[in-house]
Amino acid sequence: MAGISNVIYQSIIRKNAVFLTTIFAGAFAFEISFDTFSNKVWDSWNAGRQWKDIKPRYLAAAAEEDDE
Amino acid sequence: MKWPRPAQPMTGPVIPIASESSGSNFDFRLHPPSASLPSHSHSHAIADTPLAVNCFTMSLSSASSTLLRTCARQQLPTSRTASPFASANERGSTLKIPNFSKYQSNKNPRSNQVFSYFMAGTMGLASAVGAKATVQDFLVNMSASADVLAQAKVEIALGAIPEGKNVIIKWRGKPVFIRHRTQGEIDEAREVKWESLRDPQADEDRAQRPEWLVMLGVCTHLGCVPIGEAGDYGGWFCPCHGSHYDISGRIRKGPAPLNLEVPSYQFPEDETLVIG
Repeated sequence: MAGISNVIYQSIIRKNAVFLTTIFAGAFAFEISFDTFSNKVWDSWNAGRQWKDIKPRYLAAAAEEDDE
Repeated sequence: MKWPRPAQPMTGPVIPIASESSGSNFDFRLHPPSASLPSHSHSHAIADTPLAVNCFTMSLSSASSTLLRTCARQQLPTSRTASPFASANERGSTLKIPNFSKYQSNKNPRSNQVFSYFMAGTMGLASAVGAKATVQDFLVNMSASADVLAQAKVEIALGAIPEGKNVIIKWRGKPVFIRHRTQGEIDEAREVKWESLRDPQADEDRAQRPEWLVMLGVCTHLGCVPIGEAGDYGGWFCPCHGSHYDISGRIRKGPAPLNLEVPSYQFPEDETLVIG
């Protein structure tokens, strides 16, 4: 345990520039992953109710009308 | 802190030399050691006598005024104990250092350090994400909404407009004139010596395709909508104050200072015009 924490300290925390860069890179990665995850949750929760889900139905109906 | 005591009892006051008389060192030497006095119940007058004598002697031996002030301060303590401070052995003393070992972490100090830095860094990360989201929300709020963007462009099928006819469409709340010009009108617009006009502009700069003239239908004088196929020059005529525009939409006569404005437009396909 001590070895791991020492490695983390020496590689990331010891230099402030590295620490800050890690924080901002982590913020970037966290934001992307959080947005992707929450969008997936939203889409699965509202499956079948959004325009992108029902759009093909209307497009097919419009195509049939054009044919008539 | 233990008050230093002299190793052996001294019989009388020691007069220090002025040069080595720095604060605390000087302090205890002025006091006669408690061992030399029979008991603590002695009166203060007896205890203070050697001090007064001491000060008097020093003033005689031309000691500095700082030293004198130090002497004066020495007379203040009323107790005759060796230390002006409480002893750590006394009951309820505040000088005892408590034992903190019960509260100390058993873990490696480095892992505790890494944990606290990790918490600080995580808070920084969360703040960065929150600040970015806040700023982005404000900026997105300021940009045009979807319904405005949907009306920003207008697409027109040109096949429906016959030659020699005007069409007025609404674009961003303003009328837009589209004229399908005949070859004769194009020649007429291009023959004009445009360098001498009020707002000199060549017809080639006003129409991307010579047969299609696209202009904002707002008079540059005071904003009326000119009437098509009217006026002295066969173009547009503004009924409000009598401005005459020619077949290229340039001002020829009347109060308007500028030509009719040409919006940005393009022909994505042969028969399609997109304004905006």
